[in-house]
Amino acid sequence: MPNVALQAVSRHFAELKAVDNIDLAVSDGEFVTLLGPSGCGKTTTLRMIAGLEQNDSGSIAIGGRLVSDAATGLFVPPEQRKLGMVFQSYAIWPHMTVFDNVAYPLSVRHVPKREIAQRVTAALRLVEMERYADRPAPALSGGQQQRVAIARALVFEPEVLLLDEPLSNLDARLRTVMGEEFRALQRRLGITTIYVTHDQEEAMALSDRVVVMQRGRIHQVGTPEQVYRRPASRDVAAFFGTPNLIEAIVTASRPISNGEAGNDEHVLAVQGTNWRGQCRAAAAFGEGDKVLVVIRPEDATLIADDAVLADGQLGWRGRIVDGVFRGPRRSLAVQTDVLRFRVECPAMREMPTGDTATIVVDSQNAWAIHA
Amino acid sequence: MGSAALERRSDAVTPDPLMGAGVRPAEARARWARLPYLGRPAGITLLLLLLAFLSLYPMVMLLYGSLHSTPPGIAGTFNLDGYAGLLTVQNLQILANTIGISLIKTVLSMALAILLAWIVARTDTPARGTLEVLITLPFFIPPILTATAWAMLGNAQVGTINLAWRWITGTDSTLVDVYSYGGVIWHMMQYSTPFIFLFVVDAFRAMDPALEESSRMSGATRWQTFWRVTFALMLPVTTSAFILSFIRGMEGFESAVFFGTPVNIKVITTQIYDLITQQAQPDYQGATSFGFAAMALMFLLLVLQSRLLRRRSFTTVTGKGYSPNVIRLGGLRWVTFAICIAFFAATVALPIGQLLLSSFFQFFGFYQLDMLTLDHYRAVWANDEFWTALGNTMLLGVTGATATMVLGGIVAYVTTRTLWFGRRLINLLAWLPWMMPGMVLGIGFLWGFATLPHAIPIYGTLWALLLAYVALGTPVAVRVTSGAYQQIARDLEECSRVHGAGWWQTLGRVLVALAWPAFAVGWVLVFFGIMRELSASILLYSPGTQVLSVVMLKMWTSNRAEDVSVIGLLMVVMVLLFRWIQLRLIKTRISTL
Repeated sequence: MPNVALQAVSRHFAELKAVDNIDLAVSDGEFVTLLGPSGCGKTTTLRMIAGLEQNDSGSIAIGGRLVSDAATGLFVPPEQRKLGMVFQSYAIWPHMTVFDNVAYPLSVRHVPKREIAQRVTAALRLVEMERYADRPAPALSGGQQQRVAIARALVFEPEVLLLDEPLSNLDARLRTVMGEEFRALQRRLGITTIYVTHDQEEAMALSDRVVVMQRGRIHQVGTPEQVYRRPASRDVAAFFGTPNLIEAIVTASRPISNGEAGNDEHVLAVQGTNWRGQCRAAAAFGEGDKVLVVIRPEDATLIADDAVLADGQLGWRGRIVDGVFRGPRRSLAVQTDVLRFRVECPAMREMPTGDTATIVVDSQNAWAIHA
Repeated sequence: MGSAALERRSDAVTPDPLMGAGVRPAEARARWARLPYLGRPAGITLLLLLLAFLSLYPMVMLLYGSLHSTPPGIAGTFNLDGYAGLLTVQNLQILANTIGISLIKTVLSMALAILLAWIVARTDTPARGTLEVLITLPFFIPPILTATAWAMLGNAQVGTINLAWRWITGTDSTLVDVYSYGGVIWHMMQYSTPFIFLFVVDAFRAMDPALEESSRMSGATRWQTFWRVTFALMLPVTTSAFILSFIRGMEGFESAVFFGTPVNIKVITTQIYDLITQQAQPDYQGATSFGFAAMALMFLLLVLQSRLLRRRSFTTVTGKGYSPNVIRLGGLRWVTFAICIAFFAATVALPIGQLLLSSFFQFFGFYQLDMLTLDHYRAVWANDEFWTALGNTMLLGVTGATATMVLGGIVAYVTTRTLWFGRRLINLLAWLPWMMPGMVLGIGFLWGFATLPHAIPIYGTLWALLLAYVALGTPVAVRVTSGAYQQIARDLEECSRVHGAGWWQTLGRVLVALAWPAFAVGWVLVFFGIMRELSASILLYSPGTQVLSVVMLKMWTSNRAEDVSVIGLLMVVMVLLFRWIQLRLIKTRISTL
């Protein structure tokens, strides 16, 4: 079973803890993304799985087989780990044709020539590049090199596919197209995939699960919805978009079940400067605890200044100080007593700056984290 | 650890003392792949021993010899007489000469090289591609050739330039005399100008035009931009080229022995040579002490260089292929064209013309129709010594260049691509010969080979020359190949490993397959280096193992300048042929990459 398991894995470069004691289990056929800013250790983690870096402590297993264990000194070199990998630079060998590039993983393993031809053609067809087989590799565009790199990574039918920021060198339009192709291909082949990126939208669009990393540590693991709507910390919340973070103090806390076993949430009653209301949280808080209430700009709506709040709603009064038209939507900045509130609303609504209004948020969409 | 999901292999794992962690592949099928891991300590030890023999050993023997009262191989006592003898007014004069000559020629060459590089890289001068090839050509011609040619061109009495000058002006005056400080400096400049040019021209070319354009947009004039941006950005490169050229000038032998020795202008290398070969009683201890002192001087200069360049960043002027700003010169572009052609004429066309001329006349300097002859060609053809030397040079050139490139390629790989234990020491040992002038390395090996046990007969054989050539060539080979390795992204190698290729497979199918043009270029460079090497050869040859450059110097000193011209022409043909092949090779490779 081609799953991947990391246990207490660390990697140090001199004083710097590039990867600091992380545990991660990727199940068979899963698409997992390691997400984080540059220097967070995501690429180092991927390279340790690939065998291009050796972990200083902990162990790594692929498909139930231990490939690296710092305690016993076991280290399986990369070529024996049966992996496919797409590099950020694609690493297309410039001295070979497209065909030779894709055939490489087979020919170094001494697969018979006839079988190589078959499998390479099949792999190139998979990425719609069979017409380019005889081209010299440097005569390809970025998107085409990308496809060749994918074909090469898949031709050996690897146990696990590793992708290191494969879309970062493409322009925005092609990035979306190739991302969708990745996802479709991965679903079709059902191959276990570990993907590294610093682009949160890419991570959410592609993955079954997202691993948010920062400073060598894992901050949160969850489905794209979980990490976006239920961030575990301020860092995670801030990494996805530009949420509004409002300071408040807890006045009461009680658990509720949202239907999923072992995934209980808590309802908090909170008190802020000139406002009070309810919000959700992952854990129980004590009375008087300081929290930050996370509110996504798109969850806030503006109503007329004198309207009355319904039950279960949070509200802040403020004055619109800035408005940017973005086509499908409009980004507003509303100055309240507490903070400059970011609100995303439909573009059709006319919102002249200078007007006063009330910001309304459904308390189900207000999420509390430790301050 | 110890989760049920992770099954541990039952095999005992032996820790590897070098790696700190044992390495055990998971599959018996690929057991051979362990070779690089298990063979590594042995390989590194072997490499270290070989490099130590090539660089550390001659250095140690140099120190030994400088303290030893008698010539190599003869029982003697140890004393400091050699160093005591260094402290004379005459030697101070020699030191001042060496430094002064090298400094002046480096400054002049630098100015000329920057001008030429600017013309070639940044102006719309016609035929810039061809001009670049022509300007760099002198670098590849053995200095002994241009030295003989210029000795015949610039001789005060019968030099061709002076004869032509008198014929044109109708006077008896002398225009040039190469037997002077000026002559020594001019001859050195013919090599250091293309040398510096090669450094600077790429810096000019590789600079991001946006850096200069933003200076212009900020209100700087073209001239201000040149000094405050272009030149300032190139400063690390030019400083590096300056110091290297200066060191090479201090190590130079040919210019001084041809144009300085006859008029008693002495430098360190010629003084060492004189102490050993030009005296009734060879003064080995004095010469060796001199050599050791020279090496210490080079060491100081190299330390200075690395200190000066440590904090400088080269990143702004390397890498991406920008299309640089080209200045339209209008009518002036024919002036710049003429400057480049003049340089080529003075350094290549004139000397080769002179060699042609003197090879067909009875005596150089007397160019009358009835003096025309083919005797010199016949004489050289019938000269056994010439054939022996040609054979030796070719044999040493081919085997020496091959051995050097293999060694350099391995050293460069270990130092740039791996994190192996001992790689810093390997790098250091490979670079040591860089601070030893050929003459000094020659003495070191002379002592080294003479004191080896008789069971290892290197002294007086071709092996002595071969080992010296490999030692002298290794820094160049390492430089060329490590430059090539650095251009090959690490990804290309790692990608090969992940997709199933072992260490050796990756080396052959990716690294060598991509870097072979650099190997070819390096091979030719080392081959040229061996072909023109004189200062170490002259100390290490013995009857039967002489090489072309040595034979030419001997013929020259026994007044057979015309025969030397014939041999010189043969070498020129070889140089042009190799250079042509090299240029073709690079061009075709670059266009496909």
